[in-house]
Amino acid sequence: MTDPIIQVKNVSKFFGGLTAVNQVDLEVPAKYIYSIIGPNGAGKTTLFNCISGFYFPEKGEILFHGDPIQGLSTNLVAWLGISRTYQNIRLFSNLTAVENILIGLHPNLKTNWFEAIVHTKRFQKEEGGSIKEALRLLDYVGLKGYGDFLAKNLPYGLQRRLEIGRALANQPKLLLLDEPTAGMNMNETAEATQFIKRLRDELGITIILIEHDMKVVMGISDRISVLDYGTKIAEGNAAEIQANPKVIEAYLGPGGVALSEKYKKQRLSYAQSH
Amino acid sequence: MNRNLFSSSLKKGLAFGIVMILLVLIDFEAMSATMLSKLLGVNVIRGALPQVRFMVIFLVLYGMFVGWLTSSNEEKPAKKLVQALIAGLSVGIVVGLFDLVLIQLINTGTDVRTYLAALGPDSIKLFILEKGALSPLLHLGLFTSASLLGSALKILLKSKPVSGFFKSISTGYRSLQVKAQKHTPDWVKKYGKYLLFLLIGLSAFFLPRIWGSYNNYVVGLVGLYVILGIGLNIIVGLSGQLMLGFAAFFAMGAYSVALLNAPFPHGIMLGFWPSLLIGVLMAVLAAVLLGLPVMGMRGDYLAIVTLGFGEIIRILLKSDLLTAFTGGPRGIQDIKGPTLFGQPFSSDVDYTYIILVFMILAIFLYKRLERSRTGRAWLAIKEDTKVAQATGINIQNNKLLALCLGAAFAGLAGGIFAARNQFTGPNDHQLMVSMNILSILIVGGMNSIPGIILGAFTLKGLPEILREIENYRLLVFGGLLVLMMLSRPEGLWPSTRPDIEKDEGNKLKGDTAPGKGGPID
Repeated sequence: MTDPIIQVKNVSKFFGGLTAVNQVDLEVPAKYIYSIIGPNGAGKTTLFNCISGFYFPEKGEILFHGDPIQGLSTNLVAWLGISRTYQNIRLFSNLTAVENILIGLHPNLKTNWFEAIVHTKRFQKEEGGSIKEALRLLDYVGLKGYGDFLAKNLPYGLQRRLEIGRALANQPKLLLLDEPTAGMNMNETAEATQFIKRLRDELGITIILIEHDMKVVMGISDRISVLDYGTKIAEGNAAEIQANPKVIEAYLGPGGVALSEKYKKQRLSYAQSH
Repeated sequence: MNRNLFSSSLKKGLAFGIVMILLVLIDFEAMSATMLSKLLGVNVIRGALPQVRFMVIFLVLYGMFVGWLTSSNEEKPAKKLVQALIAGLSVGIVVGLFDLVLIQLINTGTDVRTYLAALGPDSIKLFILEKGALSPLLHLGLFTSASLLGSALKILLKSKPVSGFFKSISTGYRSLQVKAQKHTPDWVKKYGKYLLFLLIGLSAFFLPRIWGSYNNYVVGLVGLYVILGIGLNIIVGLSGQLMLGFAAFFAMGAYSVALLNAPFPHGIMLGFWPSLLIGVLMAVLAAVLLGLPVMGMRGDYLAIVTLGFGEIIRILLKSDLLTAFTGGPRGIQDIKGPTLFGQPFSSDVDYTYIILVFMILAIFLYKRLERSRTGRAWLAIKEDTKVAQATGINIQNNKLLALCLGAAFAGLAGGIFAARNQFTGPNDHQLMVSMNILSILIVGGMNSIPGIILGAFTLKGLPEILREIENYRLLVFGGLLVLMMLSRPEGLWPSTRPDIEKDEGNKLKGDTAPGKGGPID
C-alpha cells in the first residue's frame, strides 16, 4: 500500500441531536478509486462535506498529505487540490460551459484586477493560456462544440460531465464525486464509469466516489467502505463487501442475509434449469 | 367555452374602463393628448390644453390597445372581433357612466380641485370632447369602434399574407446582410471599427458645441447616470450583492469635491482634479467601512443594511450636528469648476466633454474587468456563492473588491455632478437616486453596456426631454417597470455571454491558415 493521500480519523459530525457521521475512519491511498456506499441518509454526503470544508466536523481529524485540513474554508481546501462535484448538479447555470471551466481554473491563476485593467503581458499570457486550457478540458470531458451553450441548456449527462470538467480545471490531486451516474441510463452509466477510470489512469487523480449503482461501484472500485447511520460498518474490496453480512443487513433489513441466500439459490436454480 | 371567452373579455374591458377613469382623475389623458399634439407638430403653450381632436386620437389609440390585447391569439378572426366588441362596449359603458358624473359636475359648477388637484373643469370639458350630454354615447361609439379597429389590425398583421410579407422582408434583409459582409473589402473589415470610433469621436466633439446648453445638460445627466449604472452593475450585476444605498457613495464624491473646492464652509480651494481624486478615494473608503461588517450578508438582509447606510449618510449630511462641517440642509454653494492647463474648463460644453471622457473610461474599465479572472469570479459568486467558494474563489475579498470598485465609479460621478451643478445638498442624495440607478439596470439590462446606456437615456434623458411627463414621472416609471417585468424581464437590451469557444476556434483556425483571404467566387 502506498502512502495515503487522505486520512479521515475518527471524524464525527452532529446536527443538533442527530449524529450524521459517527467516528468514521478512512484511509485512501494515492491513485485509488475509493467508493463509499450505504443506504440513503447514511451520512455519505455529510462526510464529503466535511472533507471539502463545507462542514466543520466536531470531532476527529482529516489529514491531506499528512496535514490537518478540517475547519479550513472551502476555497482553501480547493486551493490545496481537492475538487468535488455535487449530488444535485450545481453548475453556474447562466454562464457558458467554457466559462464554468474557466472559473474552475481560478485557483491556478495569479493575475489580479489591476493587471486585468492595464492588460499587462502576464495577464494576456495567462488569459490566453487559460482559455486554451479550458477548451482542452472541454474536449477532454467530451463537450467539444458545446462550449458556448449556457450550462443550464446542456442535456443532463453533459451537465454532469461539465461539472467534472470544472472540478478537473483545478488540477486536483483528490477528486470527490458525489453520485456521478445518478439519473443516467445504462449506456450513459457505462460511459461515465469508463470515464472515471480514465481520470485515474491518465491523470493519476485519486478519486473518492459516492454511488448507488452497484454495477459501477463493484466494477471500478479498488476499495469500498460502507456507511450506515453514520457509522462505518465494513471496508474491503468488492468481493469482501458483497459477502459481508452486515452490509446485506444494512441494505435489506434484518434477516437480509437469509433473504439474499434465498434469492441467490433461486437465481442459481433458474440458471441451471435454463 | 364561449361563455368563458366572453366573460374574460368583459372583465378585461371593465378593468380597462376603470383604468381610464383613474387616468382621467389625475388628468393623465390631457397630458397624453398634449404630447400627441406636440408629436404631430401642433405646439401647445405650457399650462394650456390641447385641441379636442388630439383627445380623440388618444382615446382611439387607447381603444385600439384594448382591442389588440383582448383579441386572444388562439381564436378565429370572427371570435377575436366579438371579443374586442365586448371589451370595447364595456369600456365605453364604464366610461359613459363616469361621463354622467362629470357632466353633473360641470352643470352644477362644482370645482373638485380641492380633492383632485389635476381635475379642472377645462380638462373635464376636454375629456367629454366638449359635447356635454352627448358624450357618453360618443365615448361608447368611439371605444367600441376603436377596439374593433385594434382587433382588425391584429388580425390583419397576423394574417398569413401580411406576416409572410414581413418575414420575406426580414429574410431578404438578412441575406443582403450576408452578401454585404461577403463583399466588404478587407480594409473596411480591418479599419471599419476605427472609422466608426473616429466618427463617434468627432460627433462627440462637435455636437456639444452646436446643440445648445439644454441638450448638453441632458446628455451630461445621462452620461453621469451611465457611470453610476456601470458602478452599480459591478456590485449588483456582476457580484450579485443587492445594494440599495448606492447614493451614499455618490454623496461621498459630491461632498468631497464640494468641501474641498468651495469658499464656504471651509474655503480650502484645493482645485477640482485633486478633490475629485480624493472623492473617489473617500467613496472607496466608505465602501470598505460598509463592506467589512456586511460581507457575510446576502439578499434581503444586505439590501436592508445598504438601504439604511444610504439613509444614514444622507441624514448625517443634513443634521444640525454637522452643519458647521457639511453645510447642513442648505448644502454647499459656489463649488468651483475644473481648470485645464491653467484655463477654466467649466462651461457646459466642457462638462459634457469631461463626462463623456469619464463615461468612455468607465465602459473601458468595465469591459476589461468583466473579461478577466476577477470578473468571472464575481459572476460565479452571483450564480452560486457556496460553489464558487468551493471552486477556490475567495468570496470575501472578491465581494469587497466589487463593492469598492463600484463605489469608486459612484464617487467619480458624484464629484463631477457637484461641480457641474456648482451646488450639492442632502436632497441630491436621496433614496430615489439609488432607486433610479437600480431601475436603469433593470430596465436597460444587467451586465450589458448598451442596456445601461439605453436605460439611463430612457429613465433620465426622456423625462428631461418630455417635460409634460414631469408630474407623472413616478406613475410612468412604475408602469414601465411593471411592463418591463412582464414583457422583457431581462431588460431592453439583455446581456449575452461571449462565444469563447467559437471565437477562439476561429482564431486558432486563422493561425493555421494565414493566407485564406476573401472568398474565391
